[in-house]
Amino acid sequence: MSDARATVTELTVEDLTRIMRESAGEDESIDLDGDILDSAFTDLGYDSLALLETTGRIARDYGVELSDDILDGIETPREFLTAVNQSLAAA
Amino acid sequence: MHPTTPSPAPAPRGVALLFPGQGAQQPLMAVGLYHGHPPFRRLVDEVFEVWGAEGAALRADWLSGSPAANPDGVSRAQPLLFAVDWALGRMVLDWGVRPAALLGHSVGEVAAATLAGVFTLEEAAGLMADRVAHIESAPAGGMLAVQATAAEMTPYLHDDVVVGAVNAPRQVVLAGSEAPLAVSEARLRAAGFTCRRTRALSPFHSPALAPAALAALPALSRLPLRAPGLPLHSAYTPGPLTPAQAADPRFWAGQPAAPVLFGPALDALLGTGELLLLEAGPGQGLTALAKRHPAVGAGGSAAQGLLPARARGDATDLRTLRTAVERLLAGGWLAHDPLPAPAGTVRTRPSTQPEAHQPASRQDCERDRPGPVTGPRRL
Repeated sequence: MSDARATVTELTVEDLTRIMRESAGEDESIDLDGDILDSAFTDLGYDSLALLETTGRIARDYGVELSDDILDGIETPREFLTAVNQSLAAA
Repeated sequence: MHPTTPSPAPAPRGVALLFPGQGAQQPLMAVGLYHGHPPFRRLVDEVFEVWGAEGAALRADWLSGSPAANPDGVSRAQPLLFAVDWALGRMVLDWGVRPAALLGHSVGEVAAATLAGVFTLEEAAGLMADRVAHIESAPAGGMLAVQATAAEMTPYLHDDVVVGAVNAPRQVVLAGSEAPLAVSEARLRAAGFTCRRTRALSPFHSPALAPAALAALPALSRLPLRAPGLPLHSAYTPGPLTPAQAADPRFWAGQPAAPVLFGPALDALLGTGELLLLEAGPGQGLTALAKRHPAVGAGGSAAQGLLPARARGDATDLRTLRTAVERLLAGGWLAHDPLPAPAGTVRTRPSTQPEAHQPASRQDCERDRPGPVTGPRRL
């Protein structure tokens, strides 16, 4: 069980996967098993709105805000983690 | 290189083409394919040629990457979406793929109907031009995607703000005139809903657009609307379109102001059997929606975009198309590789493939299709 707090300094792929799962509905089918780092978010079932929902949860839990401009350029979980962790490091 | 997603499940039994609509447009969408794949270029140019001088200007603006007109405005987004959707779909049909169904979102349904033979390309291009002219002079408005059910939106609907699209059980799009939509947006954000503006400057799929939409009725009434020659599904009815529905000019005229029920239409489509859904248009918004559907995620269906999620106007387009082609070849949907081998790479499959390799189940889909069952359409 991950212990996400505002003092956390790094978002891991495990954290991101958990948050992505939480933001999906119970009646929705999401497969995030295996190595998802370089999969396209759309291939994982996350369009821009779903990614925004995930980002909102990260903003709440980690205090990191990603602008729409940054989000628009992000295609994969690896790129997403890099952007979030750069923000965390700069904070 | 985009990673491919190998499917361990048996190949789906049919291919369905999905055509995205307003909101899916991106600067430089399919431009990499236009420059890198002549068959696609010839098809898109066919559409621009129907629009004459305006088409030439539209193409120059699109290819420039720094458009003079707002790419989200009706005069740019709508004709370009139609052109890219139609050309991609026509290209796949030309490869010899026999789709089990065509389903479009918003203006994507016009592209689907054209490929199904309801309209000729010239008629559809005329309809698009007429539609754009009327909507351009209609009141401004917008669209707002919300992560919520349609029922949850009831308290936020007022004036002409309506649920303009139901994309999935938990994804709807509100539409309406700008001022009342902004009020709804502020209240939704305050209540904690995840919202995102859809790239639209008109209140598509809301009553605010009804007068402008119906202005296309006289021209539509003069067209010999034909019964679909391919299985055409509608996101408005939602479900398979009957010949009587396809022949009704009011049905087509009303579309820009009528709600898009893509989620229910996808339910109906995936209820017909296991399908490989190919998104024939810019981005991968419909692919992402489909990936969440239980029939795709856990069931035997699959979804694949023909273009990348983000348009860059470069070789990414052709690489994404290559991934889709490999999938069609692996499933036996294509007898021959229609793309040139990528430079500097070794083919991973033999250059010829025996016809016997094709699974017998393909015959199920071909039975209902009119016209010759062999030989792609050549231009």
